[in-house]
Amino acid sequence: MRIADKMTSTQVDRQIQKNKAEMANQQNQAATQKRVSKPSDDPSVTTRVLSARTDENSYKQYIQSIVQAKSFIDYTEQALSELSDSLVRAKELAIGQASDAGAGEETRKITAEEVSQIFQQSVQIGNRKLGDRYIFSGLQTLTQPFDQRGEYSGDSGDIKIQIHKDAHVGMNLAGSKVFLGEGVSGDGIIRASSVNPKTVNELNEMRQEDQQLQKIKQDEEFNQVQTRSLASTGSTEKISKQDPISNSRGVNVFQTLKGLEISLRTNDKAGVQESLDMLDQAISQVVLARSELGSRVTSLNATSDSLQKAVLDNKAMASQMEDADIFKLVSDINRTESTLKATMETSGKMVQRSLLDFLR
Amino acid sequence: MAKIGTMMDVGKRSLQNSQTALQTVSHNIANKSTEGYSRQRVELQANQAIGEGNLRIGTGAKAGLISRTNNPWLEKQIQKEQTSMGFQDGRTEPLGRVEEVYNEQINKGLNNYMTQFFNSFREFSNNPESLSSRTMAREASQQLAGDFKRVNSQLRDIQKDIDGQISNLTVQINNITKEIAALNEKIMQVETQGIPANDERDRRDLLLKKLGENVEISWAEGSHGQVSVTAGNTAILVSGSTATDLMAKVTDARDRVEIFYRQDDYGSEFKLTNNFKGGKIGGLLDVRDNVVEGALGHVDELAYNLAKEVNTIHIEGFDRYGKPGVLFFEMPETVKGSSEKIEVNKTIVEDVGRIAGSKKPGAAGDNTISNMISSLQHRQTMQEGTATFDDFYNSRVGELGSISQRARSTQEAQKSILEQMSSIRESISGVSLDEETTNMIQMQKMYDASARVIRTADEMLETVLSLKRM
Repeated sequence: MRIADKMTSTQVDRQIQKNKAEMANQQNQAATQKRVSKPSDDPSVTTRVLSARTDENSYKQYIQSIVQAKSFIDYTEQALSELSDSLVRAKELAIGQASDAGAGEETRKITAEEVSQIFQQSVQIGNRKLGDRYIFSGLQTLTQPFDQRGEYSGDSGDIKIQIHKDAHVGMNLAGSKVFLGEGVSGDGIIRASSVNPKTVNELNEMRQEDQQLQKIKQDEEFNQVQTRSLASTGSTEKISKQDPISNSRGVNVFQTLKGLEISLRTNDKAGVQESLDMLDQAISQVVLARSELGSRVTSLNATSDSLQKAVLDNKAMASQMEDADIFKLVSDINRTESTLKATMETSGKMVQRSLLDFLR
Repeated sequence: MAKIGTMMDVGKRSLQNSQTALQTVSHNIANKSTEGYSRQRVELQANQAIGEGNLRIGTGAKAGLISRTNNPWLEKQIQKEQTSMGFQDGRTEPLGRVEEVYNEQINKGLNNYMTQFFNSFREFSNNPESLSSRTMAREASQQLAGDFKRVNSQLRDIQKDIDGQISNLTVQINNITKEIAALNEKIMQVETQGIPANDERDRRDLLLKKLGENVEISWAEGSHGQVSVTAGNTAILVSGSTATDLMAKVTDARDRVEIFYRQDDYGSEFKLTNNFKGGKIGGLLDVRDNVVEGALGHVDELAYNLAKEVNTIHIEGFDRYGKPGVLFFEMPETVKGSSEKIEVNKTIVEDVGRIAGSKKPGAAGDNTISNMISSLQHRQTMQEGTATFDDFYNSRVGELGSISQRARSTQEAQKSILEQMSSIRESISGVSLDEETTNMIQMQKMYDASARVIRTADEMLETVLSLKRM
């Protein structure tokens, strides 16, 4: 092949360019520590890294939400623990006054005072706040749920927190459930719905359902027959009432306490004895509520653990895909550098020489 | 019979021949680095011999043509490859910039702001009562809207930049076609005398390659060695010694530069933009009208759907004051241009209390609606319910990445094809100093020897003249 002078110089130029481009690319990788620094470096990796990053960020948010939900649940649990202590105390008092042995009209009157204290205390527990929000008022978190008489002005709503891609968890227990015994499920456990509507259709269905339940409840209450005399009103008013929605019998903690207090005040031994049963039910209602909270925390912990692991896994995966292998890179850089040097040395010799150098 | 005069004549002509050859050598050396130059050779031929009796005595050499060493078929092929090269060059550079718009390796981009947007609603769900979590949701929404605008404006900047490049290229093309037309005339003038117009043809070949790099052309050499050049199938740019300009301008119909052609001053204008499929202009147009336009369409689609889905849910809700929810994003009217127009509703910007998170009025802790909005992240709302917002966006980024990757590798491949062909061309037509030096020595020796012949003839003549004295 005939070699023209221009061929040599373009060849030299091209090879040096190629080496330098490779060098620049490797240097860029070393500086950014990334193998993929723009989408075209590896489009499929870019797509996967992007979605891994989205996942990582939302997982971190879920973990943060779980921490908040847990603190809310812990706080609720603490309040309920105090409530169950108070109810146990009330039961002890009731046992002491349930028979005529060592109890009489006087002691019952004194005990009534203490039960009244317990009632007040329970109302206070029902009005606990975490930060700005009342924890037992359902969704009406800025409304004080219970007044002095134990009347409820919150609702039965569940505050749902997203803890995973498609999972929500209820973090509160509405006062209407744990204190008033409404909407307790058949086995006595208070369950929060963990379904959050996704579409507007689902939302509307949910609203309709809520309205229907509301109506059934109102009808039921309207038709309720008073079973006891006025004097001991409250003590058994709703004892035999079935929850129209879940068909369970919940206990109204405040009415139970009030009933006990009235029975004590009126020296109604039978009433006090009846209250014992009610108190037992109330205690078990609260205990069951606490165990429900406990199981929620357990499941939150498990979710949080798996999320934390997923964050790490995601990071590891993204790093494996997009990060530069430093050891390999450094050795590559050395190789490119020596190639460049060799190219330059040989080129220098090639470009210089021509026949003219040898003619004198 | 041989004559001394003829011998002198032969010497003289040989002297001239070697001088011509030496001058050609120096012309070659001088043009060693001239782009598109083909080395030239003096074709020496033996002169007509004179017959005398049974002797035919040679009368030396004459210089025939000065011809260039050139392979026209190769030149044409290089020109074609150069068109492909131009197309790839035209695409690769702006595609790299398109990619930068979506580069989330280093900068924060839509992917990041979308996640932040949904996370801010999760945080709002955690604390629907708190003003600060509402404010955070607003900030994240505004940042998201802002990033949609950034993507939109950066993409449009690329289009604007391409417009500028196209206008510049049109000017270059017009300059080149003018020069080709002038060369056509010159070549005709020279070649009607039967002499090859080497340098002019070299220059014209080079210009055709440069023209072809910018725009796809078809050309053919007609009578008298004149070429006619057609671009975009219909526009005759050069015919004989006249060149016709292309015009680039913005029309009322679209805010982009379009290319027009007019046969003569009285003819009507044709829009040729869609005819340009090759060359640098073709590559630039492809990026501007297909890739970037497509990317704009996608980001518009994303912005529109996001705004629509969020709004649909948000108006179902109730805000902090128990009022029904307003539109969260000011709704873009059409999909087109959504990413430019998307904006958080002014009412919400001014009062974060208007963000509606509850499904019923007056329930401060109700976060059903905000939960629904944050769940949108994982709902398949794009592409007839087959992709989430993230899926949609991420796969678009991947798509652009692979378009750019392919463009870059095709460009590399095309470059090496072209380099190989140029190298073959140089091997045929390029100047080699070694060769020229050898020729130079050869011709110098010939010059010396020719002078010696003349001197010998002179001496012979002297000998003859001195015969009489003796």
